[in-house]
Amino acid sequence: MKKLLSLATLFILAVSILAGCSGGDSTTGSGAAGGSATAGSFDSTKEITVISREASSGTRGAFDELMGLIEKSGESEVNKLFSEAVIASSTDEVPAKVEVDKYAIGYTSIGAVNDSVKALKVDGVAATEENVKNGTYKVSRPFIIASKGEASEIAADFIKYITSTQGQEVVASEGYVTIDDAKEYTAPSAALSGKLTLSGSTSTEKVIEKLREEYVKLNPGVNIEVTYNGSGAGIKDAQDGKSELALSSRELKEEEKAALTPTVFANDGIAVIVNKDNTMDELTTEQIKKIFTGEARTWDKV
Amino acid sequence: MKKKTILEKGSKVFFLLCSLFSIGAVLFICYFIFANAIPAIQQIGLWEFLSGSSWQPNNTPQEFGIFNMIVGSIYVTAGAILIGVPIGLLGAVYLAKFCPKRIYPVLKQAVSLLAGIPSIIYGFFGMMVIVPFILENFEGNGNSVLAASIVLGIMILPTIISISETSLRAVPKSYEEGALALGATREESAFKVILPAAKSGVVTSIVLGIGRAIGETMAVVMVAGNSNILPSSIFKSVRTLTANIVLEMSYASGLHYDALIATGAVLFVFILLLNMALGLLTSKKRA
Amino acid sequence: MKLAVKHFKDQLRIYRRKPLSLALFLLVNLAMLLTIASLIFVIGYIFVNGVSHLTPELVFGAYSSDNPSMSFAIVTTIILVIVALLLAAPLSIFCAIYLTEYAKRGNKIVKLIRLATETLAGIPSIVYGLFGSIFFGTVLGWGYSILTGACTVAIMVLPVIIRSTEESILSVPDSYREGSYGLGASKLRTVFKIVLPSAMPGILSAVILSVGRIVGETAALIFTLGSVAKMPGSLLDSSRTLAVHMYISTRDGGMAGRNTAFATGVILVSIVLVINLLASYLAKKVSGGNTDGE
Repeated sequence: MKKLLSLATLFILAVSILAGCSGGDSTTGSGAAGGSATAGSFDSTKEITVISREASSGTRGAFDELMGLIEKSGESEVNKLFSEAVIASSTDEVPAKVEVDKYAIGYTSIGAVNDSVKALKVDGVAATEENVKNGTYKVSRPFIIASKGEASEIAADFIKYITSTQGQEVVASEGYVTIDDAKEYTAPSAALSGKLTLSGSTSTEKVIEKLREEYVKLNPGVNIEVTYNGSGAGIKDAQDGKSELALSSRELKEEEKAALTPTVFANDGIAVIVNKDNTMDELTTEQIKKIFTGEARTWDKV
Repeated sequence: MKKKTILEKGSKVFFLLCSLFSIGAVLFICYFIFANAIPAIQQIGLWEFLSGSSWQPNNTPQEFGIFNMIVGSIYVTAGAILIGVPIGLLGAVYLAKFCPKRIYPVLKQAVSLLAGIPSIIYGFFGMMVIVPFILENFEGNGNSVLAASIVLGIMILPTIISISETSLRAVPKSYEEGALALGATREESAFKVILPAAKSGVVTSIVLGIGRAIGETMAVVMVAGNSNILPSSIFKSVRTLTANIVLEMSYASGLHYDALIATGAVLFVFILLLNMALGLLTSKKRA
Repeated sequence: MKLAVKHFKDQLRIYRRKPLSLALFLLVNLAMLLTIASLIFVIGYIFVNGVSHLTPELVFGAYSSDNPSMSFAIVTTIILVIVALLLAAPLSIFCAIYLTEYAKRGNKIVKLIRLATETLAGIPSIVYGLFGSIFFGTVLGWGYSILTGACTVAIMVLPVIIRSTEESILSVPDSYREGSYGLGASKLRTVFKIVLPSAMPGILSAVILSVGRIVGETAALIFTLGSVAKMPGSLLDSSRTLAVHMYISTRDGGMAGRNTAFATGVILVSIVLVINLLASYLAKKVSGGNTDGE
């Protein structure tokens, strides 16, 4: 009875579904192409998108400390991060966000920087592994593994491995900065077996996963379980005995050092990254501070 | 014979016990959430907690104020309602009154599929498509109230559509026949007679939609930008109550941890209030 | 055909006279279109971008930092679903039996149970996650584990199963029960031999829908199941479901992680598609193919 009308409706439906699809495709297309198509048209009067991390991230802690974003007076400590900053929840989310936003600035571990973003020189020094190692690039922090009191046999052996020449090779291959005076590692003659639990910094995930795999190859009897829940939580877990070793991507605080014995196993620079279309190539610590406290809101005011 | 009655009686008691489990679960959830939240709120101060706009767990002294997040949750929920309710309602009218019989099962299936898609998929889609789209075509960096509202608007569609449709269908045929006999067009009868008659069902669907939007976590945290500010426009970043919990929970310890549970408790109270509103609505309908 | 053309012309004449009606007609069509278009767009987007990354290595290979395979997540998802359903399904089916077959209408306890299930249905998954991590994780000391996660989502799906089971039990004609009693069967026997088998497709469809809910859940699981990227060895180990794996992949791992997320998304959406089709097929069976309510 209503055949014709319903046929017409069906037809409209079909057409617009197709239109919806193709419309969608073109959106994604322009989204991907947008960056390169408009390259060079960087408008420095546009607002800066400041990208930071959630409050208890180790990278954030180290960055805030190094850039002077934490204002201390007596007992009180106040974080001056610009309140409108976008909060990314992991090391890799920052470059992903910077990649698509021309006016964005963020910071991430040097190991996580890829070709899709531009790492700025800070105070005239390029963010490279050599510069971190020779100490000229100041924005860096250590990767620390810490145990409560005397480490167990397996834990001690694992620490021995990751600070050895073999372990440091892995560190270097993952793009992090090695420590000095590493020694050769040999697996203990009496094969180890048991479970080792680690928890802590998400920034150390890439390198620790690799180290874990290599270590287990040498010591097949050992089962290592790692929870990447952030430096602060990892340190607390180790203090509470929830896990045996803590992974931290910032220096331990004084009160934490009282409970845990830290060992540095790698160093990592924090790269300040911007979009590829950004005309800036370097910033001073002072300028970075101005951006991250929200004092400078556009790129031409930096 | 006697053995049988014992079995019969016993099974009845057993079924009753199983039924009481859900009451127990609700009480347990309330107890454990509030037992952790209330001491934290006492320590922070109820007023400071609810009206403070600074959330700084790493400062000394720490600051825990969730005012911006309460407002943020309300903003994105309102946005979702603005987007989802008109489309959902019109869609329900279409399904109930205008849909050709042959494509009805297909559409019905599609709507239930829309409800079944995991929130993580919606969030990922929003992050990859909607956020860059807003960034390219409007002001701001894309992570915004608008992005979250669009994603949530799509997510509440199936709730609005299916519940409204059911209540539209429940309106007696005589209403429509009367309207048509008086010379109204199909559209006039649908919008002026049937829709008003199905009002309570429609309101129920909106309340449930609000509940879904305000409690959604994963999809929102991926597109909202999560800055702790009072957004001054729909292109500004926003942090909701749910996002605050999921962002910081795994890192938190001590008072910070309890403050996050307290954030959850505030969310919980919102949901309980919505449920009560819903209860009032349905009981009114019955009466 | 002539009749149809005539009808179409009539309709056109009406619309010419009442443009508002035409506008409303177009609007409701547009709304439905938008709904369907967004569904197709979301699913299409995930599939178009994901299928190319879906290599056998990534789905079935062993997980390592070079190959963020989802094999362990698939296993964890299956284990979690089974454990959660073992807990939730009997409990909620018994509850539905009580509510439909035993309880007297208007009973205070029944009202309370209904209020409780409605409340459970409304609680956001993140609150379940908080509760699960406090109660199962800390109080009972199970930490981040499959058991903690399964118990949490089991409570979450209770209302889903209870409500649909109730509906399908109620749709069993009373004549079946009367027939059974007439033959001298006891109430318990009637319930298990007559009522439940007839309601079975509906109950199955409810259970399957709850599987969909568990598979898609993230917020309630990251603080209960945890996110360790490892094949679980026991129920007390932490691991990831597919949805959690997808979330962690979008957060971590840069572009490679994004590709993993797309591929995981394809698997997730496919599971949900199958589950929905299966559930509606079963639901159709129970209502005798008459689902359009016309």
